[in-house]
Parts: sequence; structure tokens; C-alpha cells
Amino acid sequence: MSRLIYCDQAATSFPKPPAVIEAVTQALTEFSASPGRSAHRMSLAASRTVFEAREAVAELLGVDDSSQIAWTLNVTQALNLALNGLLQEGDHVLTTSFEHNSVMRPLSWLARARKVEVEVIPVPPDGQVDPAEFSRRLTGRTRLAVVNHASNVVGTLCPLKEVKKALGGVPLLADAAQSAGAVPLDPIEEMADLLAFTGHKGLLGPTGTGGLWVRRGLALGPLIRGGTGSRSESEEQPEFMPDALEAGTPNTHGLAGLAAGVRYILDTGVETIRRHELQLTKLFLNGLTQIRGIKIYGPSDPNMRTAVVSLNLAGWSPSDLALALDREFGILTRAGLHCAPRAHRTLGTFPEGTVRFSFGVFNTAGEIEAVLTALDLLSRRRS
Amino acid sequence: MPREVFVYIFSSIHQVLRAEKVLKKSGLPFDLIPVPKEVNPDCGMALEIEPDRADEVTAALTKAGLVIEAVYRRRGRDFQWLPQPKPMS
Repeated sequence: MSRLIYCDQAATSFPKPPAVIEAVTQALTEFSASPGRSAHRMSLAASRTVFEAREAVAELLGVDDSSQIAWTLNVTQALNLALNGLLQEGDHVLTTSFEHNSVMRPLSWLARARKVEVEVIPVPPDGQVDPAEFSRRLTGRTRLAVVNHASNVVGTLCPLKEVKKALGGVPLLADAAQSAGAVPLDPIEEMADLLAFTGHKGLLGPTGTGGLWVRRGLALGPLIRGGTGSRSESEEQPEFMPDALEAGTPNTHGLAGLAAGVRYILDTGVETIRRHELQLTKLFLNGLTQIRGIKIYGPSDPNMRTAVVSLNLAGWSPSDLALALDREFGILTRAGLHCAPRAHRTLGTFPEGTVRFSFGVFNTAGEIEAVLTALDLLSRRRS
Repeated sequence: MPREVFVYIFSSIHQVLRAEKVLKKSGLPFDLIPVPKEVNPDCGMALEIEPDRADEVTAALTKAGLVIEAVYRRRGRDFQWLPQPKPMS
């Protein structure tokens, strides 16, 4: 089979930097022990690995206290942790019509189970939210606002700083699934009060890694309780971070890889990665205008989006187009609703969805040209 | 007679490793040991410090914003708790 062109970075990044693979291999072969539990040298090496991963993410966020970062399996678990840990019966929460199901489903459940009042702010089809929409909806019961930093469907960037200002002290939970590693998050304290992230997309780590950063002084309950290696005499979960929000042996092997991924990003520079991805996105968007029958969704200004482009091609269903791209050209994309039915309703693409192309640090201009050529060929026939 | 050392206890392994990072950067000598069961039932780690470097160690850790949970003077299996000044907040 000829070389593949991977355009599904918004789902999981590929390839990973060699240092990530080496770090996971080293963790598996040299210190496959429990971190924070035993005190022997292998356990200590595992503890240091988990600690260094936290320090690396803290550096990316521009915070000095990495204990405010709790590990989770992925961004979905981090969002569930934050929403479940903060929202109680009778609370009011603000969100937008451009969110992923990782936000909408827990909110939907909280509305039923805890009578949380969920208010969904309608956003225009390009996904650009007006921060004033948040301030005018604040009530005395508003406990939280939750928004994605970048849309997983069309890449629209949310002005987190402005939204945070508009909230006037009500905590802001930012879903950084699509932005971590792709756009600057430093200093996070000006952008959010809680930040949910995943390790396997822009942070270039393995699946099964992610976390939640919580502003110091903001207390929330855990999602699960159990062993932490600390306060072992007590049958209550410790209240200090990160142990308050973590229980059970963490994914040390994965976190070894995540640390290497984040180090790669810090060494390369988030700004450099952003420039590269923006260049690819502009090249792609410009090329698409030359192809008949292409409809592009999302903001018209490429500077307002991450390297995510959703489109449809006349005469093709999204799933047929993605299949033809894969089978005939080795171009890997994602078709459908992208786990974000509400965002697709906002775009007017529900229920068929779109074909999503998402690019990353290792995609090249040559690959973009090849994708454009394939789309041009397919535009000349029908499925 | 066993030699005297100071044992520094922290709330969690995270804080111990932060302390380790601070002391490595400051070039101060220390040893990482399992928490002695005589003073704390935790499964975690503690720092062992030479008594004549304890003031420097405490100063470096406090300056880095670390909260030292307790300090003990140890001679063999004999532990004496040493009151610490409250950290600046």
C-alpha cells in the first residue's frame, strides 16, 4: 500500500515523536512499578515519571504549581470530573450550542439527576461566540460556564480571556481537547479556572492520558475515590491536590509518553507549531476554493480556527467521500457528526454531517497538495 | 551510637518530588527514604537531611513555597519532633 496521508489529527495525533515511543518503551522495560506506593527504586522512578509529566504540562500552561493538575484517562473524564465535582442541585450552568457530547451528555444527565439548570447559548454557524452573551445570562445561581477552546467540528477558536472577563468571577471550565499543544495556553490563569485536556491529540502522547487543571483555591469533589499512597491510615479521600482527585494506580507508561510529547512541544514552541498548522490550513482553504462543489463550514478567517476544516462535496455523502479518500488515495479523514450533534445542528449539517480534515505538526504542504488533487478528481464524478 | 539525621515529612509524594527538584537545583545534599513507620503510617517517601544543612534546606524549601508537614530528629529508632515556624502565605 502506498503512503498514507493522515488527516485525522483532531481525533488522535499521528505519528508520535520518536521520543514518545522511546519513553513508553523505557517505562515498560525499566521501571514498570507503582508510582507513589512502594518506596523502592523502581517505584521511585515511576513516581518521578508521573511528577515530571505534571511539571511538563504545568510549564505548557504557565503555572508554577503542578499539583493542581489531576490525571484522567482523557478529556471526557476530565470534563466529567469538573462538571460532576462542581455542579450541585439547583445550580445554573452556561454553555454553547457548539459543544461536544463530552460536555452535553454529562450536562444532560446533571439536568435530570441533580436538577441543574443548563442554559445553552446559541452561537452563529461559524461558531464565533460573543462573550457578552455570557454576562447577560448570569444569575445568582450561576455556578459555572463551560466552553470548548476550539471546536472539534470546524476549529473555531473561542476568545477565552474575554469570556472569562464577561463571567465576572463565575468559574470558567475550558475544554482544551482541540487546542492543547496547538495554540498557546500560557498563562492559563488569564483564560480559565479549570482546563480539561487530553494527551493523545495535540500533546502528541499515547491514548489513555489526560487531565484537569484546577485553579488553586477552587475545591471540587472527586469522580472516584480510592488508594493514593498518601494518608494510608485514613478511610477518607485526602483533600490536598492532586491526591484529592486521583485514586488508583495511574497510567504511568502512558504518562511517560505524554511527558515526552509535551517536552517535544515545549522544545519546538507552541507558536512555531501554530504557525505551521495555520500555513497548512490556509493552503488547504485556498486550494478548496478552486474545486467545484465544495462547501466549507466554519469561520472565513483562517486565523480564527485551528487546523480543522469541515466540508461537503456536491454529489457525495460525507461517508462515501471519506471512504473513497481512504480506499483510493490513502487519505484518512473523519466523516459524520464528530460526536457533536448540537454543533452540526448549528452548522445546518445535521444529521448527515461533514467530512473533517484535521492537520498537525507532522503534516506537510506536499500532503495538502495531494489531498487537494484527490478532492479535485473526486469532484469530477459522483459516488 | 547511631548518627543523627533530620527527617522531613511531606503531605504527598508529589510534594516530596518537588522538594527533591528544589534541593537538586540548590545543590543541597539529601537522601530519599521510605517514610519511617515510627512517625507516619504512609506508604510514601521522606527526605533525610544532615543536621548541619537543615537550616539551608528548610530555607530553600520554604522559599519555593513548599509546605513541610513535619521535621524529626532521628537517632536510630528514636524520633524527636521539631516544631517548625509557620510558612509564609
